[in-house]
Amino acid sequence: MKVAFYPGCTVQADQIGYEASVRNTMPKLGVELIDVEGASCCGYPPFSSVNEAAWYYSSARNMALAERMGLPILILCNGCHLSFTETKHFLANNPIIKAKIDEKLSIEGLTYVGDVELIHVFDLFHNKLGEEKIKQAVTKPLTGFKFGAHPGCHAIRPNKLIRPDDSENPIKLDELIQWLGAETMDYPGKIDCCGSSLAPASGKTVMEIAGDKLRMVKALGLDGLVTTCPFCFKVYDNRQRAIQSTVGASVEFPVFYYTQLLGLAMEVKPDFLGLDLNQSPVDSVLARIGGS
Amino acid sequence: MHVEDSPVASTFDEHRLHDTLMKMNAEVCDQCGKCPSACPVASRIDGFNPRQIIAKVCSGKEGELIRSGVIWTCTSCLKCKERCPEEISPYDIILALRRQSIREGQQHPAAYDDMVKAVIETGVITQPQPVRTRKRERKDRASLGLPPTQKPKDQTKYAEALQGLLKEA
Amino acid sequence: MKPVLVVGGGIAGIQASLDLADRGIRVHLVEKSPSIGGVMAQLDKTFPTMDCSICILAPKMIECFRHPNITIHTQSELVSLEGTVGDFSVKVLQHPRSVDAQKCTGCGLCSERCPVKRPSVFQACLGQRKAIYLAFPQAVPLIATIDRDACLWFTQGICRTCETVCSANAVEYEQKENTIELNVSSIILATGFEQYNPKDIGEYGYGHYRNVLTALEFERLVCASGPTGGVLTRPSDGKVAHNIAFIQCVGSRTQTTGYPYCSASCCMYATKEAVLIKEHEPSSHVTIHYMDLRIFGKGFQEFVDRAQSNWGVRYVRGRPGEITEDPASKDLTIHYEDTEVGKVEKNTVELVILCTAAVPNSDNNKLGGILGVKLDEYGFFSTKDPISSPVETSRQGIYVCGSCHGPRDIPESVAEASATAAKAAEDEARLEVKG
Repeated sequence: MKVAFYPGCTVQADQIGYEASVRNTMPKLGVELIDVEGASCCGYPPFSSVNEAAWYYSSARNMALAERMGLPILILCNGCHLSFTETKHFLANNPIIKAKIDEKLSIEGLTYVGDVELIHVFDLFHNKLGEEKIKQAVTKPLTGFKFGAHPGCHAIRPNKLIRPDDSENPIKLDELIQWLGAETMDYPGKIDCCGSSLAPASGKTVMEIAGDKLRMVKALGLDGLVTTCPFCFKVYDNRQRAIQSTVGASVEFPVFYYTQLLGLAMEVKPDFLGLDLNQSPVDSVLARIGGS
Repeated sequence: MHVEDSPVASTFDEHRLHDTLMKMNAEVCDQCGKCPSACPVASRIDGFNPRQIIAKVCSGKEGELIRSGVIWTCTSCLKCKERCPEEISPYDIILALRRQSIREGQQHPAAYDDMVKAVIETGVITQPQPVRTRKRERKDRASLGLPPTQKPKDQTKYAEALQGLLKEA
Repeated sequence: MKPVLVVGGGIAGIQASLDLADRGIRVHLVEKSPSIGGVMAQLDKTFPTMDCSICILAPKMIECFRHPNITIHTQSELVSLEGTVGDFSVKVLQHPRSVDAQKCTGCGLCSERCPVKRPSVFQACLGQRKAIYLAFPQAVPLIATIDRDACLWFTQGICRTCETVCSANAVEYEQKENTIELNVSSIILATGFEQYNPKDIGEYGYGHYRNVLTALEFERLVCASGPTGGVLTRPSDGKVAHNIAFIQCVGSRTQTTGYPYCSASCCMYATKEAVLIKEHEPSSHVTIHYMDLRIFGKGFQEFVDRAQSNWGVRYVRGRPGEITEDPASKDLTIHYEDTEVGKVEKNTVELVILCTAAVPNSDNNKLGGILGVKLDEYGFFSTKDPISSPVETSRQGIYVCGSCHGPRDIPESVAEASATAAKAAEDEARLEVKG
């Protein structure tokens, strides 16, 4: 299948390990990633807190680009996915605002209809590819591992808008991990926030919020935390040292992008999965998998 | 909050803002306490309490909220919106207050100004950064075989459109 | 004189039947389950008097059974209605018990020997009953019933142990359903209510966390005739719970998961249950997480005051945002805000009781259609006017009492039952005058 590929600005800027793992696994599963040429920031968080029209414009613009490509849009980041979903819903019900935005889109010669299909990473694997296809692609099952899934707030809330997974008992990411041969655990706080959106206001509190989850999964003896959102990963993986000094307790814990684990189970070389860029101590897991 | 009910207008005054916020169902809040108990920030930052924010909105004290830093300490987790039995979204109300705060030029985290500036100038929040591996080696997009980043074809036109919208509201 | 039809054999239906019967009017009391008694038979004690519920109910149940003017039809339901007040022709369908009511002595041996177990609705599914069973020890009539969906004879053509052991020869597998036609002057609806299933309120974990129970489940747990003999052992590990919390308004007062209305009795029954816990074990910690305390009835405020001052029950104002479970101990942590001081806190307990909403009986729609009476937007029966006709439905000659038209407590249900009996008696009197 072909998709308009929208990694978002965070992934492209510094979460390039994630991007690499996506570009080196999805095509092997038959997904052709066609970059959205001319794409820009979805508007969350720069505009959502600043100017409503600019926010909806930002998301509508990218959806318009995908519409022009005639393809459904694959979105890697939870924040982007919710931003597009909220925009779609709002503009469908607010013709006056939509007219304003249409006017601005015409400056770049773009039109927004609002019918592009939004595909979240969970749904690409769950709905579009499905269990059989994933399991067939797994040549080295991750047996003996027990991971904690971190679906992330914007993939599961608010229930009023259709989200990729259930807000109180999300299971899709758990199932995706299980399809790789590993076990998962429904740990307390699984649906808790990573805290990253608080960064502009209070970096310290972000560390405390993220630290709680890392300490929980570490204390439960899990093998790693798995996510698909670059905002969440950035906090949980890239900031472990800062979290440690804030909370005053060890939070060293392996954190992975799902596509990295998928790649390992498909025996894609770790270098192609950006695994050397994970700041958290993933080497122990990699050694056990024998992926080198 | 019914997203479709929140209007965007060209100028706002506080009375209008109060109306907007009440349209977001704030007036039916019976102060039950579910939102702060689900909130990851309320348990950690003294002074941030979505229930109290709604109480202030209902009693016409939006101005006080807008002029304080408290509305910027929401982490957008959406638990309050998800769990409120009256379908109030303290999150959406906080966003509306933030936008009003910007409109009035009140204090807000500098990071937002930086992000807005960056997006207008480059189309993205941050330009590609070189990153380091665990072994402290430098890597970048090219070394990972990644294509150049996606960005607006005509940055000027893109900026024009955005700036037009930012000026209007 | 014509008889009156009372539909529903809970406390309201029983009271209405007795009131009518005592003044010489015949009553057909129709109940869909194997015994009359309703929810009140499942409760441990009643507020605010702390009387043993079945102890005050059973005498009324027996009176109904013995009263020459009352005919009880259990396992029965109303299937059609025609006519007007003073001349209603109704058909009542009686489902077979598969046991001869004249012969069965209620000894219970059949049930003891039956090999098939099923969750017991009477025990709020915390305990089990057999395929052939007596509804509960004080059931009226005290006659065994076979659940044909569970019985091995009906499902697989084997067993028949009950028939073998019954010394009264009362088992009658070939019993068929039976339709009775009645002509009645008026009808009293007393079909009661159901409990909201809180599984949709995901943040409270009901159905996932084993130690989160509903209030009705708790009543069975604390009751001496319950599945644990009244010992507060919790489901996950059988440990006796000493630290327990109640959460109010679960499924009530909400626009989202549940119903917007208040369920009327939960503030009081939570207090009652809290006091029961303290009576069982005075050193227990009990917390009630509430929104408002709706304790307006006679003696209610004093009841709650005593719970606080005499028994040390802790009341905290704040609707909890979520409950998390410790994977090892299965203890539960309630995340709440003490709104009176504005502090967000956690309460870790061994058992959580959810005070769930009283919701309309799922049969109301069907029954409303048969009777031609209106339902309200929630599915409760509608009354003609809350002030001038509070027990009359939209159809003349059909009355409502008890929780079938909205959540209410036992005293109110009993008062309404007497009101409907008076209305039905008026209709009878008019018939007499007409000749």
